[in-house]
Order: sequence, then C-alpha cells, then structure tokens
Amino acid sequence: MKVAVGDVIPPFRMERVTPERMKTVAAIFRDPTPLHWDREATRAIGFDGRLLNQSPINLGYVINMLMQWAGPRCVRRIRAEFPQPVLDGDSVCAGGRVVSLSGEGHETLAECEVWLDSQGGTRNVAARAWVAVPREP
Amino acid sequence: MRTLVGHRFPGGTYRIERWENFLLSEATGIDPLPDRLAHPAHLFHVAINGVGTSIGELFQLADAGPDPLVSIDYYDWRIHQPLLEGETYSLSGGIADFTRSRRDGSPTRDSFSYAIDLDDASGARVAEVAFRWHFWRVTRARETA
Repeated sequence: MKVAVGDVIPPFRMERVTPERMKTVAAIFRDPTPLHWDREATRAIGFDGRLLNQSPINLGYVINMLMQWAGPRCVRRIRAEFPQPVLDGDSVCAGGRVVSLSGEGHETLAECEVWLDSQGGTRNVAARAWVAVPREP
Repeated sequence: MRTLVGHRFPGGTYRIERWENFLLSEATGIDPLPDRLAHPAHLFHVAINGVGTSIGELFQLADAGPDPLVSIDYYDWRIHQPLLEGETYSLSGGIADFTRSRRDGSPTRDSFSYAIDLDDASGARVAEVAFRWHFWRVTRARETA
C-alpha cells in the first residue's frame, strides 16, 4: 500500500444516527446514563430532547474509516477528544489525513489527524491515530 | 476524592461474544469484521466491565449523585494485538489521577483518569486503555452559591 504525508483518507459516513442503535449500545455497555435513551433527561440539560450518541461509537465511526482504508488490524493507537456531542438524527462524516510516517520492516506506521464532523461543520471528535499500513514490496 | 488516586479495581476477565460483536459493529454502521476480529470500539466497555467495575460504579466512586453531569476529556487506546471474539482477556487497572479545577463563574470540575490493561491468556499485553472523565459539580455549585 502506497502512503505519503498529506494523503487524505477516504471518508466514512453515517447518514443518520438513530436512537435505536444508542439503546442497543447502552445495553451492551451496561450504561445507566439516561442521556442515551431518555428524551426528558436531554431536554433538562438543553439538548431539546435529542439523545446523545455514545462517544465510543463516535470514535467507532472514525475507526471504521481507518479500517476501510488500511485493513481491520491497522489501528495501533488512537487518542481522541470529544468537543461536541453527536445527537440522534445527526448525519456525521469521519475524515482524516496522514501527517507523518515512520517504521521499519514490513509495516509503515502512519500518524494521522482524524476527526468526526456533523452537518454544518460541527467537530464532534478530534483525534490522532497511529495506523499500521503494509509496506509495498 | 484525591484519596481515590491509586484505587485498584478488582480485576477480572472478559470474553467478547459473537452477538455483542455483531450488535456493536452494526451500531457503528459496519458488518462484523472477518476472522473473529472484534471491533476496536469494544475496548471501552470490555475495559470497564472486565476489570470488575461498571460505568455506574465509576459514577458512584466519583460521588456523582443520581443525576450526574459527566463529560469526556479524552480516550487514549493503545492496541498491541487485535481483539478477538471468543478470547478471554484478563484485565487490571485503577484510578490514575485526579484534578479539581474551577474557573470564575463555572462550576467545580473534578477530573478522574483511569488506566486499564488487557492481557490475553498467555499474559501478552493486548491493549492499554486510558480515559479521563470530567464530573461537573453543578448542584453543589448552586447549593453553595
């Protein structure tokens, strides 16, 4: 796989974040936080009754982008911050670009600036990822 | 709160089942990965639940109250080997750091850092999971205002 500093990673889109998926994830996580399943709870804190998506799932969209680019075993490290929540009904898009390359042997380690944005340009995830990409023979 | 730094969770094991990998992958918008690979997003709940605690207990330890206002500072996941369905992982970890901060006009913010390691059955390190949550003491700030 040919990779260079400045390469843009093909985006991953989630056209609509749904409350049904949030409820499934809340059960898997055993997460009692009502902000993922109770509209009254989110109304009380100013989100107009829209549910908040779980942050590991927001990060999951970014990871999906990386895996579709460099393979399902590629992610070596990801460090993420979450400036704004993703809400039910949002359309989100993960993007990224390569900022540096290192490594020896059969793999190159690509350091990538990655993010998740929702409609209107709101940044929901800002992260740095280190991704192993197979080196061309 | 500060005395919680160094608190160790009980430790334990976690096995990612096929059904939860299917559902969690689907929740992120993709089909399950090939070759028993588990979606890396599992690292969040596998770490917390596998180390012998829970999201609810972490809130209790932080004295978050019944209606907590919690935000995330960061996640930092280092993945040495891919996660696999059907593998049993051993987990260990604890509370790594605590800071309290307050700016004028803002509620007190207590921040806890957690660090949890995942090892496979042979003892090899699979992943290191660190994360930090902010607990906003909104009610307390209003009560003391």
